[in-house]
Amino acid sequence: MITQKISKMILSFCVVMGFLCATLSANSEDLGDVDSPIKLAINEWSGQHITTYIAGQLLEKLGYSVEYQNAGYLSQFQALGDGDIHATLEGWTNQLGDIYPVKVEEGAIVDIGSLGLDAGEGWVYLKFMEDMCPGLPSLEAMNDCADKLMTPETLPMGRFISYPADWGNRSEQKIAAFNLNYKAVPGGTEGAMIAELKAADASQKPIFMMFWQPHYVFSQIGEVGWIDMPPFEAVCDSDPAWGSNPDEVSDCGFEKPDTLKIAWSGFQERWPAAWELLAAFQLDNASQEAMMYQIDVEEQDVVDVTSQWIEENEGTWSPWISSAMGG
Amino acid sequence: MFSEKNYLPFIWGGLLLFSTILMVFGNNTKWLLVFPETLQIPIADYLDAIMLVFVNLFRWLFRFISFVLDWPMRGVQELLSWLPWFTFASLATFIAWQGGGRNTAILTLILLLYIVIVGYWYEGINSLSLVVICIPLAVIIGFVLGVLGYRSPKANAFLQVMLDFMQTIPAFAYLIPILLLFGFGPVVGLIASVIFAAPPMVRNTILGLSRVPPEVRESGTMSGCTPRQRFWWVEVPTAFPQMLVGVNQTTMAALSMVIVAAIIGGFEDIGWEVLGRLRKAQFGQSVLAGMVIVCLAIILDRITLAYAKRQLPTESHSGFRLKQFLMWFVGIALVTYILSLIIDPLRIWPEYLEFYPADGMNELVRIIITNYGEFLEGVKNNMQYFILLPVKLGFTRSIYPITWGFELTPTIIGLYWTIIIAGSILAFVKKNWKLGVAIPFLAGLLYFGITGISWVVYLTVLPLFAYSIGGIRVAIFVTGSLLFLMVAGIWVPALISIYLCSVAVAICLILGGLIGMWASTSDRVSAIVRPINDTLQTLPQFVLLIPAVMFFRIGEFTALMAIVAYAIVPMIRYTEQGLRNVSPTAVEAGITSGCTPSQIFWQIKLKLALPQILVGVNQTTLFGLNMLVIAALVGTTGLGQQIYLALSKVDAGAGIVAGIGMALIAMSADRMMQAYIKATKK
Repeated sequence: MITQKISKMILSFCVVMGFLCATLSANSEDLGDVDSPIKLAINEWSGQHITTYIAGQLLEKLGYSVEYQNAGYLSQFQALGDGDIHATLEGWTNQLGDIYPVKVEEGAIVDIGSLGLDAGEGWVYLKFMEDMCPGLPSLEAMNDCADKLMTPETLPMGRFISYPADWGNRSEQKIAAFNLNYKAVPGGTEGAMIAELKAADASQKPIFMMFWQPHYVFSQIGEVGWIDMPPFEAVCDSDPAWGSNPDEVSDCGFEKPDTLKIAWSGFQERWPAAWELLAAFQLDNASQEAMMYQIDVEEQDVVDVTSQWIEENEGTWSPWISSAMGG
Repeated sequence: MFSEKNYLPFIWGGLLLFSTILMVFGNNTKWLLVFPETLQIPIADYLDAIMLVFVNLFRWLFRFISFVLDWPMRGVQELLSWLPWFTFASLATFIAWQGGGRNTAILTLILLLYIVIVGYWYEGINSLSLVVICIPLAVIIGFVLGVLGYRSPKANAFLQVMLDFMQTIPAFAYLIPILLLFGFGPVVGLIASVIFAAPPMVRNTILGLSRVPPEVRESGTMSGCTPRQRFWWVEVPTAFPQMLVGVNQTTMAALSMVIVAAIIGGFEDIGWEVLGRLRKAQFGQSVLAGMVIVCLAIILDRITLAYAKRQLPTESHSGFRLKQFLMWFVGIALVTYILSLIIDPLRIWPEYLEFYPADGMNELVRIIITNYGEFLEGVKNNMQYFILLPVKLGFTRSIYPITWGFELTPTIIGLYWTIIIAGSILAFVKKNWKLGVAIPFLAGLLYFGITGISWVVYLTVLPLFAYSIGGIRVAIFVTGSLLFLMVAGIWVPALISIYLCSVAVAICLILGGLIGMWASTSDRVSAIVRPINDTLQTLPQFVLLIPAVMFFRIGEFTALMAIVAYAIVPMIRYTEQGLRNVSPTAVEAGITSGCTPSQIFWQIKLKLALPQILVGVNQTTLFGLNMLVIAALVGTTGLGQQIYLALSKVDAGAGIVAGIGMALIAMSADRMMQAYIKATKK
C-alpha cells in the first residue's frame, strides 16, 4: 500500500517538475550509483520517522531509490558500520552508547553534521504536584517528597521512571550523585512511559520521570514542570570534586543534546550528490512537533504527512537540492 | 521412590543443619552472600573474541547465503502483494476446502475478510510471505536432520541436545550472532525463524520414522525394494502423518517469530505494525494488528491440520483429485482476477470501507482505568506486599508497618521459628521425614527470600534435591547449570528470573488447575475455555503485554501478569485432559465401593490424572521462562533484561551467556520434572 503511494508520489513529482528530473539525469555523473538503493534506518520513535521520511523523499527527488530499514537505536551502528544500512538521520548525542565511538574510531561510520533540532531532556513532573511537594522544582523538594512516591517495588524509596534500559542509565547515575531517595525503574518503551505520564495525569497521582522534548505528549496532558539542576559543565562529568557531591561525578544537569546525521563511511564515494543533500538537510522543532502531532494524535500516515510537508515547504528544501547538484 | 536410598534422610538432615548454621552465622560474611568475583570467569568476553574471529573468517559465506535468500523472499513478497486480495482469499479458501471441507473453508474466508476489512492486508501478506518461505526451508532442514537422527544413534544423541538448546535459548539471544553474520534486513528475520521453526519437524520426523512397524518394513524388503526404495516408498509414506504434524507445529513456530523478526529488520509487515503500536502504547491499534497474526495462525493451523488428517483412512472429506483440483485452481484464479480488474474494491480494499474500532477500544480501557483504577492498584499492592516481596526479599526485608501493618519484632521472629520447628519435629515423629525437611527449608526461603540466601546453600541443596528425585545424571546436570550461572557472573539476575518465574508458575498451578478441573466437569465451561486458550497461545506474546501495562503500569507485577496469561494455558489444558481421560471404570469402581464424591475426586480421579497434570506443570514452567524474556520489555531486571540489553547493543557474548543461562534453568527444571513424572507413573 505504502510503496504504491510512494511510487505514485514520485510519478506526480516527476510530472510536476519534469524539468528538474531532466536536469538531474543530465547531471548523473554526480549522483553516483543510482541503481542501488540507499537504505535509511528507522528507529523507535515517531520524530525520527518524520526526519527519515523527509530525507528519503528528498533523495528520491534527486533520482535515488530509497529503502527504509527497521533497526534498533544502538544496534543500527553495527549495521551502519557493515554497510547494511547507509544512513541514520537523528542520532541523539546524549545516548550514542559504547558502540558509536568505537565504530567512528574504526572509520566505519561518519558524522555528517547536526540535524538542527533544538532538543532538551530532563526530569519531568506534573505541575499539580507543587502543592503536595512544596518547593518544586528544586532537587531538595523532590527529595523531601520521596515518601509520597513510595511503591512496594521501590520500598523504602520513591519511584522514579528512567529511560528504557537500552537507552543508557544516566538518571541512575544522577540519582546516586545527588544522593536522592529514589529508585529508578526502567521505562520499558516510549509508549509505556507515555502511558505512565497520561495515567498519572488522569488520576492526579505524583510522578517523576526522565523525558525529552520536543514531544507531542505535552499537548495532551496538564502542565508539566522540569526539575532544576545545576547547569551542565564538562568538568562535572570528569571531576568528582565539582558540584554538591564531592565523591561523585555527574552531579549536575543533563548536557544539552545535539542531533546528528550519521552515515556509513562508504556513503560519500558511492552517492556524492546524496551525501551533499543529507549534509545540507535541516529540520526545526516546530515542523517536527506539528508533524508528530498529526501522526501520533491524529493518526495520519507518516508518508502522507511528510510528503505534504515537502509539498508546502519547497522554499526550505530547494536550496539543499541545488547544493547537492552543484556539488 | 526414596525407599532404596536409606541414607538420604541423614544427608538431608545434615544439610539442613549446615544451611541453618550458614544462614545464622554467615549473615555478615560477604563472600557467602555474593558469589566471589575472583571465582568468576569472563565467559562473555571469551565468546566475543571467538565470535569476532569467526565472523571475520566466515562472514562472506553467510552474507552470500543471505544474498541468495533475499531473491526468493522478495519475489514471493512481490507476487503476493501484487495479487488482488479477492483472488488470494478465493484461492486460499479453495485450498482450505480441498483439505478440510466446508467448515475449514468458511473459517478461512472469515478470518481473511477480517484482515481485509481492518485494513492490514498489505502488512499481513508481507508477513505471510516470510512464513511461506520459512516453512519449506524449515521442513526440508528438519526432515534431513530427522532422517539423520533416525539413522544414526550418535547423531541422534547430539541432535537431542541441540534441539533442547534451540528451543530453550530465547530467540532474542541468538538474534545477535545471526545479526553479526547475516547482516541486517528481512532475511535475518527469516533465518531466525527457520532456526526456531525447524526443531518440531526434526522431532516429528524421528518419531514418525521410528514408529514405522517392523512388519511394514519387512514387507518392503520382501517385495524386493532396495534400501533407498524401501525408505522412500515404504518408510516415509508410513511416517507421513506424523511428519505432517511436524509441519503443522513448524508453521505455528514460524508465525510466532514474526514479531521477534520485526525487531531486527522487518519492514511494513504486521510484526512491525504491532511493535510500533506497542511502543506507542496504543492498546486498540496493537490488539487489532495482533489479531491479524492470530488470524493467519489459525488459518495456517487449520489448513495444515486438515491436510494431515486427510491422510487418515477415517476422514470422509476427500476433495478433488489432483488434476481436477489444478483446473479449478487456475479457473478460480483467472475469474477472480478478471473480476477484480472490473470491480476495483476487489483488488484493493478502499479505505472508506475499512472498519478500525481502535478508538472505541482505547476509550474502553480508559473508562476501566478511571473507574477501577483504585481497585486494580489495591490488587497490585497486596500481591506485591504479601507474595512478591516476601518471596524475593524474604520476611526480614519486606515486613514493615506500611506493608504488613506491623514491625518484625524479635518476639514475632521467635514465634515464627518456634512454630516451624515444632511443625518439623511433628512431621519427623509421624515418620514423614520429607515433610520434616521441607518445612524448615521453605520457611527459611520465605524468611530470607530467594535473593537473600547464600549461593553455597543453593549449590548444596539443589543438587541433592535433583539427586533425590532423578538420580545422579540429573544431579550432575543441575550442578553444572548452577556453576555456569555463578561462574559466568549472572547469578543475581538468574535468581531474579527464577523468583519471578516460580511465583508465576505457582499462580498458574492454582488458577489453571482450578479452571482445568472446572472445565473437566462441565462441557459448557470447556467450550468457553478452549477458544480462549487457543487465542492466548497463538496471540503473539507481545500482545499480552499491552493490557498488562495499561492496567498495572511498568514493573515486575505487570511482567508477572503477562507471564501468567501466557503460561497458564498448558496447565488448564493438561488438567482438563487428564481428568477427562480417567477411565470411567475406575470411577465406577469407586462408586460401587462406596466412595463419597469428594473421595472419588481426590483419591481416584486426581491420582490417576496426576502424571498428565504434571506434564502440564512442566510445560507451564517452560512457557513461563520463555515469556520471561519478552516480559523484559515492561521492566523486569532478571536474565531477560540482560538478553534484551545485549540485543540492543549487539553484544553477542553477553547475550549468548544470558541465553544459555536461561536455557540451563529451563532444562534443569525440565529434567527434574521429567524424572518426577517418571517416578509417579511407576
